[in-house]
Amino acid sequence: MKRRTGLILVGFLLWIVVYPIAIVILESFRDAEGWTVTPLIGFVREPSEWSALWNSVWISLASVVSAAVVGIPLAFVFEKLEFPGRRILGALVALPAVLPPLVGVIAFLFLYGESGFVARIITEVLDLDESPWRLRGAGAILLVHSYSMYVYFYLFTRAGLAKIDSSMTEAAQSLGSPGFSIFRRVTLPLLKPQLGAAALLAFMTSLGSFSAPYIFGGGFRVMTTRIVTSKLNGDMPAALIEATWLAAVALLGLVMFRRFSGSRSVAVMSKGMAARAATIRQPMARWGATTIGWLFAAFLLLPHITLVLVSFVPLNGWSTEILPSSYTIANYITLLHEPERLRPLWNSIWMAGVSTILVLTLSLWAAREIVQRKVRLRGTIESLLNVPWAVPGTVLAVALATMFSVSAPWVGRWVLVGTVVILPLAYFVRNIPVACGAVVAGLRQIDPSLSEAAASLGASKMRTLWRVTVPLIRPALLAGGALAFVTAAGDFVTSVVLYTFETRPVSIEILGALRAYDLGMAAAYGVVLMFVSAAAMVVGTRR
Amino acid sequence: MSKKIALVAMVLVSVTAVSCGDGRTPLVIYSPHGRDLLQRAEEIFEAQNPSVDVRWLDMGSQDVFDRVRSERVNPQADVWYGGPSNLFARAAAESLLHAYRPVWADAVPERARGAGDFFFAVFETPLVIAFNSVALTRAEAPQDWDDVLRPEWNDKVVIRDPIASGTMRSIFGMIMQRSLRESGNTESGIAWLRRLDGQTREYPINPALLHQKLIRQEGLITLWGLPDILVESSKGRPLDYVLPTSGTPVIEDAIAVVRGTDNLAIAQRFVDWVGSVDAQLFAAREVFRLPSRTDLPEDSLPAWVLDVRSHLVVEEMDWLLLADSGAAWMNYWDRNIRGSGAPAD
Repeated sequence: MKRRTGLILVGFLLWIVVYPIAIVILESFRDAEGWTVTPLIGFVREPSEWSALWNSVWISLASVVSAAVVGIPLAFVFEKLEFPGRRILGALVALPAVLPPLVGVIAFLFLYGESGFVARIITEVLDLDESPWRLRGAGAILLVHSYSMYVYFYLFTRAGLAKIDSSMTEAAQSLGSPGFSIFRRVTLPLLKPQLGAAALLAFMTSLGSFSAPYIFGGGFRVMTTRIVTSKLNGDMPAALIEATWLAAVALLGLVMFRRFSGSRSVAVMSKGMAARAATIRQPMARWGATTIGWLFAAFLLLPHITLVLVSFVPLNGWSTEILPSSYTIANYITLLHEPERLRPLWNSIWMAGVSTILVLTLSLWAAREIVQRKVRLRGTIESLLNVPWAVPGTVLAVALATMFSVSAPWVGRWVLVGTVVILPLAYFVRNIPVACGAVVAGLRQIDPSLSEAAASLGASKMRTLWRVTVPLIRPALLAGGALAFVTAAGDFVTSVVLYTFETRPVSIEILGALRAYDLGMAAAYGVVLMFVSAAAMVVGTRR
Repeated sequence: MSKKIALVAMVLVSVTAVSCGDGRTPLVIYSPHGRDLLQRAEEIFEAQNPSVDVRWLDMGSQDVFDRVRSERVNPQADVWYGGPSNLFARAAAESLLHAYRPVWADAVPERARGAGDFFFAVFETPLVIAFNSVALTRAEAPQDWDDVLRPEWNDKVVIRDPIASGTMRSIFGMIMQRSLRESGNTESGIAWLRRLDGQTREYPINPALLHQKLIRQEGLITLWGLPDILVESSKGRPLDYVLPTSGTPVIEDAIAVVRGTDNLAIAQRFVDWVGSVDAQLFAAREVFRLPSRTDLPEDSLPAWVLDVRSHLVVEEMDWLLLADSGAAWMNYWDRNIRGSGAPAD
């Protein structure tokens, strides 16, 4: 009986996770006549394809490095030093996480773009003829990536540091080890799993990143924008082969990062306490740290503030002035009163909600299988759950669009393109690794004897699940659910391929507002999305 | 537990709430025409047809083509309103359109009628050289295509990202076509486009950003369709245009019913309305579209129409050639020319 549910799960995951990608790969080797390698040869022989692929890889690696350089020291400062405002600043620093990709990019455009606030102010102060810089190309993409992705390193490192037993470092200290050596030989190895996870997350996110290269890329092409261009140009074979290559690179990255971080965390079995933060006693240093901390937080909050400011700008209300000259709440009134304007917001929320509930259900199921099963299927299920990592959003969207545009129920394909089902389904698949990762980890930490006790007292399986398991892993469920919800509600890459009039989400409406140069409206949508994400995060991190 | 059930129930209720409309029949239109035209068209058509709920999605004409193609098995759009007729010809060749001969079919010239009645042009869109009229006078602006390559415009040109834009594709197509006519090959056309790329400061991703960059003088000139420039300048924006002296493509801006629509009758009624005398006059007067109909009395047309018609030099376009080779040219451009051009010497 148990065996069978495991097999069903494996079958389901193969169908929804592996099958669409397999279809993309196979289709890229087929044309009207049959099997062909023409697109493959076309790709291999095309230098610009290689340069786009290389751009994707190096910009992702560079994003990982720059995000780490910002995030890790920040985590140490907030975890190890005590200074005024530490708690509130520590929370503020995580705020880039509530800016969905497209919204973040737009905020950067308003702020640092050629006619953004900062450029305008500098032009005015220095009395220049034109903006001192252009927010374009690899540099701009890197800037946005490091801004939005250092949060991974920051949060993961802090979580890791909080778990490190101070007795370990103290032992090293009493053995005469100098400070840096302790860091290198003790702290860093203990942090390796967290750093590996953060690096993987950052790498995969930048590899699949579409909004930043789409808006700021200019002549700088990466694989994701390439795929969309090929599809737009009607060259579906090229789009498919490009998707295949990007998926291959992502898979390679997944394997390599996993190898680096090791499969299991370093076992730390002790009952010591995490080190307490050291209070900075010297007044000057104390004030210095506080000032720098607040300035940094202000810098991190600038995009949010910009967004809020622009959301009060009326249509056509900001062209050549440094700051917009007039402000109005008309955008919000329109947004709330016109049903057609409100609909995208509602769409995003219900589609993200449905996909989150689905993915949590799946994660509970998968977690039970993994935790209970002794060998064999466990590894298979865990690998399958991780596959969507290796699939950038653009590729996943193209894959689902291809798979679900054919009516062939006997091979598990239905026509779902153009229905309300396809977008929630896409969000669901994208969020499988995040939600399942959290829930599996949560379930691993609880003692199986508790549910066994419930069972021996005669509770049915469902009852045990609802009354014992779910309450015990509630924090993990909430955290996984919140992440899944936020990702789905702010999604742009998959939505832009799969939306319909009925299901168009907020991100598409933001793009539409930008198309009409309705900056205020675009920003107003962004602000609402920001608050929805923040609310989900608050729920998700409640312990 | 009960909370979760309540949540699920709430979601289900909301899904049903979303899927039920207000009882009117929805008519979905994919169009690159922009909010100005579409919003007014929606109001007027809905006023005349109270049982219809017009819903439009505004996107580039190449985007429309891509969406209609990906939704082939389950079409979401009923009408495709706007875009160069060569794009419609390709869509017709891929069996994406439903043949329909509108009631006004005989009022438009032969060139506006698509083969097999699959699409008909309702507007004519001359392509122009547009410029910021605060920074330049009409006399200072480039007068012809080749003038745009002159050194003084280096880094002053902004161009709408041509991949998603039928308008830009037509201009690029004209350059390639001229090259083929003059030398029998595409070499000089490619060289021209490379030099244009060298002059170009940026490729904004949508028309509104393009207009804003011109208005804010991030760039001074662009190549674009006439209607948008007139609409913007009627709103007081500092934009003006030049009709290129050597001739310019006039895009046959078409409309078609999407194959597989479940609202065939209403879709056809909408197409009939768009080409009606009232709708053509509305489009000319309010949103600066040049009507395709030749039977409109001259005194009912706004002055700008007569002005443009008297100065316009039409470039003969081989739209079939463009439909055939356009995608390959654009592909080549995107991969080998974009961002690689040397500035004018």
